Parts: sequence; structure tokens; C-alpha cells
Amino acid sequence: MITRFKLENIFKWIIALTVSFIILFPLYWIFISSITPAGELFQRPIKYIPENPTLSNYIYLIKNTGLYDKIISTFIIITTTLLISTIICVMAAYSFARYDSIGLKIAFLFILFSMLIPNVVTARPLYDFMRKVGLYDTYTGLIILYISRVIPFTVLILRNFVSNIPITIEEAAAIDGADFSQTIFHIILPLMKPAIATVSITNFIMCLNEFFIPLFYANNIQVLSTAITQLPLQDNMYSVPWDLVSSMGWIIILPIIIFVSVFEKQIMEGIMAGGVKA
Amino acid sequence: MFVQKAKSKLWIAWILVLPVLIIRGFTVIYPIFETIRISFYDVRLLRGLNQFVGLQNYFKVFTDPKVLETIEFTLIFVISSMTLHILLGVLLALILNMKFKAKKFLRTIVLIPWAMPMVVIGMAAKWGFNNEYGLVNDFIRRFVPNFELSWLIHSDTARAAVIAMDIWKNLPFFAILILAGLQFIPTELYEAAMVDGATKVQAFFKITLPLIVKNIMVLSIPFTMWRLASFDIVYSMTSGGPGSSTELIAYRITTEVFTNLNLGYGATLAVLLFIVMVVFSTTNLYFINKK
Repeated sequence: MITRFKLENIFKWIIALTVSFIILFPLYWIFISSITPAGELFQRPIKYIPENPTLSNYIYLIKNTGLYDKIISTFIIITTTLLISTIICVMAAYSFARYDSIGLKIAFLFILFSMLIPNVVTARPLYDFMRKVGLYDTYTGLIILYISRVIPFTVLILRNFVSNIPITIEEAAAIDGADFSQTIFHIILPLMKPAIATVSITNFIMCLNEFFIPLFYANNIQVLSTAITQLPLQDNMYSVPWDLVSSMGWIIILPIIIFVSVFEKQIMEGIMAGGVKA
Repeated sequence: MFVQKAKSKLWIAWILVLPVLIIRGFTVIYPIFETIRISFYDVRLLRGLNQFVGLQNYFKVFTDPKVLETIEFTLIFVISSMTLHILLGVLLALILNMKFKAKKFLRTIVLIPWAMPMVVIGMAAKWGFNNEYGLVNDFIRRFVPNFELSWLIHSDTARAAVIAMDIWKNLPFFAILILAGLQFIPTELYEAAMVDGATKVQAFFKITLPLIVKNIMVLSIPFTMWRLASFDIVYSMTSGGPGSSTELIAYRITTEVFTNLNLGYGATLAVLLFIVMVVFSTTNLYFINKK
């Protein structure tokens, strides 16, 4: 019995290591490529321990590609999006959970149904519309589109959460003389904190990964996700400036790895909350 | 639980949902009606054309060899990727559900591909599948010396590579969602089965699978939708090439409307894609609810 248990454990470890290897090894390869001098990338077989590690690719990116501006604009867009979307989605979620009318039910279904419409289907008319109203390539325009992107998921999760808060709590507050805004700010919002945190973490990743919006609705404003596709070809005869792509890739990946390791629990909860209810 | 508030206060409710409705209305609903309208017109900005042509764009789709190739690859991509998602996803979910020491570590690792932008993966894959200096061939050469293959230059291998990268990025996410379903299965069920002398394999097919089948079917809807509308992966990895053999329909649509400026035709493809998605998801939901 003991040997069987041991065998099973070894088997589990082999599987776990294989899965980790498939995921982590390419990331390691991107990393060592990013600190290998450009010339040494053209070698067979690949040297997985770089002989002359260098930060020159990173320095080149910082000096010549406006990396700093891209990080700032990414940051501006994401924080504003999260802030505004949280406020308006909490409002809507509360309304959908607590008020009952046919009109509101249709409005809620309309938001859910709009999830089915992929961005390519609406891309061109939306582009023309953004141009017409002067929102193309502006922070306001991008932020509106990012907010729109996260609305359905956020409203769905938050509405489900509010539905599970017993209404008797609010009734008790009303008996104690609390008015509407007091009920919202002192009772409902504090209770919603964990749900807002999970949704924000998931939305943060969504926004960071968003590629379609900055690609088609902006030109001068560049974010990190689009920046990697527009790196200059140095003295590199191949179609990919791999020296710069790998270092830019790691600039994007590193914060994500840290973020995911720190918030593993919340992310899992967020994903599962969405998945089970979906 | 679902207690209503006084009907007289309904105007407050509408004010609360107004911002969300306005934003979704202008960014999704208005443009989709516009797309539907344009699909009946021949709008070509490069030639200054803008005239009503009825269903002509729709007829053109089924005789356009380029678009038919795109539709072919989109179907291959969606079907093979989803089949692998379901088979390997259940397997990975079972692994993630195992009780052992490195569980948290493994779950964190599995989240990384999901949290990475697809374009970073696509750009890296472009180099990774390079014959001379790529990671994939380097790995194969450790076992098969002198192995040579330019993955992204031949249509079949380019297609396989695109599907492989889609799996690498999205399978972990799919597995985590299946895991959510697995965790609701009470352990007593397995204990009872073991007492009755069932093997682990029997337990899987008789207990686990029937209980998560519905979960898998529900999950397959959004995952199929996302595959149908995938854009980033092909944009960053192959640009639809070689030729147009790895062109997905979403990529074709953006090329028509933003590069060729053939808005009417692009809109037609968009409407057809949308119809396919609506039909697929509603029939699937119908079967799930019937079960």
C-alpha cells in the first residue's frame, strides 16, 4: 500500500513538472534571449545559459522607443477605466439586483446579449463614429471603449453578488433612519468590497491585454500591448526583431507574473465566480 | 431573496443603469446596426463607391475563393482547438484538482498564459517556430538531430502552429473553469464508489464526467465564440500567411474594412459571422436547458 502511494506521488510530480515545463520554459527562453547580445541569437543550438549577458536591449528600448511614455499612457488608461467602470457598474448592478420591472430586465438582458457581439463586427462603424465625434486617438475615447469592454462581465458578477446580500439589512437601516445614500455608502459598498476587488483584478488584466482597441482607435497614443508589434528592425535580416521583441516581451510579462503570484487566490475566485454563474 | 423595492422609486433605478446603457449603446448597439445597414451597400472608399446593392455582397461571399479559404481555416481552427480544449482541459483540471504539495504553485503557473497578452505570445511564437533559431526546432533537434522544418512557411504546419499557440494560451483558463465545477462534487461520492470496488477510471467515467458534462457544454459556448472571433493571434503570429492559409475570418474582416477599404463587403462578412455566433449559442443553450 505504501509503495502504491509513493508511486502515485511520483506520477503526480512528473505531471506537475511537465505542465510547468511547457508553460515556463518558453518564458525562460524569451528571458535569456532578451539578455543575449543580438548577434549571438543567430546560433544553433540555442545556448540556454547566455555567455555574455547584457542589458543593452533594455537600454535601447528605454532610450529609443519612448517606453516611458507608453507605460504612462497604459497606466492612465487602465486606472481611469477601473475607477469609472467600478462606479458605474456598481450603480447598475445594485439597480438590476434590487429593482424589478420588465424594462430593467430587458436592459439587463441587453447588456448580457451585447457580450455576444465581437469587436470585429462593430469595428469599422465604431471607428467612423469615433472620428466624427473627435474621440479617435484621444484618452477620453480610448477610456470609453475600455470601459465598454469590461461592463458586461463586471455588471454580471456584481449583480449576482448584490442579489445575495439579504435585503433585510437595508430594511433595518431604513428603520434606523438611514437615507438612500447612507444605505449605499455605509452598508452596501463595504459589503461589496471583496467582489469589487476580484472584479478589478480580473479587469486590470483584461485591460492590460487589450490589443484591438489601441490598435484601431488610436495612433499616437501607444500602450504596451501594441508597442511590441511596432518595434523597429535593427540590423536584423529576419522578419522579427527578436532581440527587442524578447526584451519588450519581458517588460510586459514580469509585472504580470508578479501580479498573478500575489493575487492567485483572488484571481481564482474571480474566474470561478464568473464561470459557475455563466 | 429577490425582494423588490417600491415601484414609485423606479426612476432612481433607471438613473443608476443609465451610464452603462449609454456606453454600451453607442459602442456596440449603434455600430452593429450600422454594420448591418452597410452590408447591403457597395461601399468602396478607394473608388468612391457608395450604392445600394441589396443582397449582392452576400452572394459574392460564397464564390470568393479567398473568403472560402478563410472560412475553411476558421472552421478547422475552431473545431480542432475546441476538441483539444475539452479533452486536454478535463485532463489538466483533474491534475489541478489533485491533492499534493505543489498545488498552489501549479495553479499560479497555470494562470500566467491566461494573464499574458496574446500578441506577446504571437510575436514570440513567430521566432519560436523559426527553422534555424527557434525554440521548437531546437527542442526537437535534441532528440532528432538534423531536423529541419520552417513551420510558418508551409500552410499545414503554420496552421498547426497557430492552433498549438491558441491551446498554450487558453487551455489553462479553460481547465480552471472546469476545475470550478469539479470542486462542487462531494468527496463522499468517490468514497462510496471505492467501497463498492470501483477503480479510479470507472469513478471518472461514472461519477465525474456525467456531473461536469453540463459545465463543459456551457463553457464551450463563450470559448467557441472567442475562437470564432480570434484576431490577435493571427495578426501577431502569421499575418494570415503563408498566402491566406492561416487567415481567420476576424482577420479577413479587419483587412477588408481597414486596409482594402471595402466596407460593404467587410460588413457582410461581419454580419455572417455574427449570425453564425447567435445561431450557435442559442441552439447550444436550447440543448443545455433541455437536458
